[in-house]
Amino acid sequence: MADVVFNNVHKKFGDFIAVEGLNLSINEGEFVSLLGPSGCGKTTTLRMLAGLEFPTSGEISIGDRVVNDLPPGKRDIAMVFQSYALYPHMTVEKNIAYPLKKRGVPRAEQGAMIARVADMLQLTPLLSRKPRQLSGGQQQRVALGRALVRDPKVFLLDEPLSNLDAKLRGVMRAELVELHERLGRTMVYVTHDQLEAMTMSDRIAVMYDKTLQQFAPPQEVYREPANRFVAGFIGMPSMNLIDGDLSQAGGRWEFRSGEISVPLRPLVDSAEAGAGCIGVRPEHLVLGEGPISGVVRLVEKTGHENIVVVEIGQGLRLTGRVPASVEWRTGESIQLAIMADAAHVFAAGPTGRRLNTPLGEQRP
Amino acid sequence: MIRRILFNLMAWTIVLAVAFPLFWMVVTSLKPQSELFRRPPTILPETLTFEHYWQLLSETNFLTYFQNSVVLSVATTLVVVSIATLGAYSIVRFKYWGREGLAFLVLFTYLLPSVVLIIPLYLMLVGLGLSNTITSLVIAYTTFALPYALWLLRSFMAGIPEDLESAALVDGASRMGAFRDVILPQLLPGIISTALFTFILSWNEYLYALVLVNSDNTRPLTTGVMNMLISSFNVEWSLLMAASVMMSVPLIIVFAFLQSYLTRGFGAGGVKG
Repeated sequence: MADVVFNNVHKKFGDFIAVEGLNLSINEGEFVSLLGPSGCGKTTTLRMLAGLEFPTSGEISIGDRVVNDLPPGKRDIAMVFQSYALYPHMTVEKNIAYPLKKRGVPRAEQGAMIARVADMLQLTPLLSRKPRQLSGGQQQRVALGRALVRDPKVFLLDEPLSNLDAKLRGVMRAELVELHERLGRTMVYVTHDQLEAMTMSDRIAVMYDKTLQQFAPPQEVYREPANRFVAGFIGMPSMNLIDGDLSQAGGRWEFRSGEISVPLRPLVDSAEAGAGCIGVRPEHLVLGEGPISGVVRLVEKTGHENIVVVEIGQGLRLTGRVPASVEWRTGESIQLAIMADAAHVFAAGPTGRRLNTPLGEQRP
Repeated sequence: MIRRILFNLMAWTIVLAVAFPLFWMVVTSLKPQSELFRRPPTILPETLTFEHYWQLLSETNFLTYFQNSVVLSVATTLVVVSIATLGAYSIVRFKYWGREGLAFLVLFTYLLPSVVLIIPLYLMLVGLGLSNTITSLVIAYTTFALPYALWLLRSFMAGIPEDLESAALVDGASRMGAFRDVILPQLLPGIISTALFTFILSWNEYLYALVLVNSDNTRPLTTGVMNMLISSFNVEWSLLMAASVMMSVPLIIVFAFLQSYLTRGFGAGGVKG
């Protein structure tokens, strides 16, 4: 059953369009990430769901209620802010108690509810402290505690981990996933970090330039990006995107760009010859042999593998990944090949739609 | 070394220059009449007397003036702080047409010398039937304390993260609830320094009090004391000094307790806003 629905939602700030024609249907109990670069409209989307911004047109519903005109406090949601937004003048206990107090939960019941959350998040010894006396990770937990204490229908999380250091972020990621499993509540999570989105979500809504680009499970977003933007945005290191020409001869499609020529698997029926683009993941670039020659420009050693950037003329650089045992040196000449079956094909333009279904994502 | 001595010398000169009149005021108020004009003057009084204080409190209208000043300053402070807090909240948090323009218009009125406004204001207050009342002074002082108060509080308000308020709204508070529970406690340093500023301004104001109020029942301390002790023929120096000491006491007490807030307030006003 759909729990949160955006129905053709638009949001304008004066003349500035922040979100355009958003349709999104989130299932009950699902963990959904809104992922995109800054300025793509993801935070505005979340704030509209929270009731902190109101859509210019369209309809937002939570459960089976249209919430367009409801103030945040009446939407049965809880939110964790990027800045945590803990009330600085209140102790941890008062912070967590605040939503209960505002909803008229009897004082006698508050104690038990706070104790339960404090226990779950290991906050019990900190209850009498003020937020400024806590570390970043502890503040993060308090913010979570304040959201959890009320058992709302939907949890909204606005880049809650972005202020933590890398290690703590990893820990909290795992804790959030565990928490989601335990509570079984709908969670909407805004992030610009694809690793967070990929590892935590049931489905990812990729946003770019005010519009939803793709809404699918993480693996699908990775394997079958809906358009060129998603292809380039998801994956570390990024997919290699090469602009060129698509041509058809004798029922077979071919892609050409300078000295690169790639025979393509059948494209969708509506595909047209002309300008286009192919996308090749770094793992689908064969380094060391092949028809394309280039020069190694950069080698990044991550420990378990090496990321190799090769320049192949006209300033075009391709990124490949090889096992750590294969060592290339900067400045070295290199031959390489594109695994044609794994190439994604997109129409021209920054959000050109996908035109084929590549074969599996096996590594070479 | 020499630089340090010179620096200290200069600092102490300034301190003395500022402090000596205050010292002389206290000393004069404690000297008997006979010692006042003695040559050479005595630095410390040979005999201490509190007769001037007693005379002021028992034989003059001093206490009425004092009470008027307290009522006037407290009322002005309350009015200005309430309006400025809500005004600053509106200007910082809500987006509406003319918001910035309004803020600058307010600042512009602050730049006008208050003397310019005295006649129109007087005529308006007479028209309202408020001449010769404490209320008229409260209104007058509000007109020139409010712009500054608004700008001071605006910079404090801008320093409060909007997320705090959003969090309170999501947690179930109404707008006013969020304002009361979250914004006001954060704004306290700003409110205190604004209140201090307004209080001092209305406590010391002379010109408007002189023009707008001329009955003994409604005079504040500034004009009351002048009127009572300074005539064309004579200045009652010892009484005047005793009155001045007693006028300063409330301010000194307030300052002593709240000066850290005040300096913070001036800092905030200087950096932002």
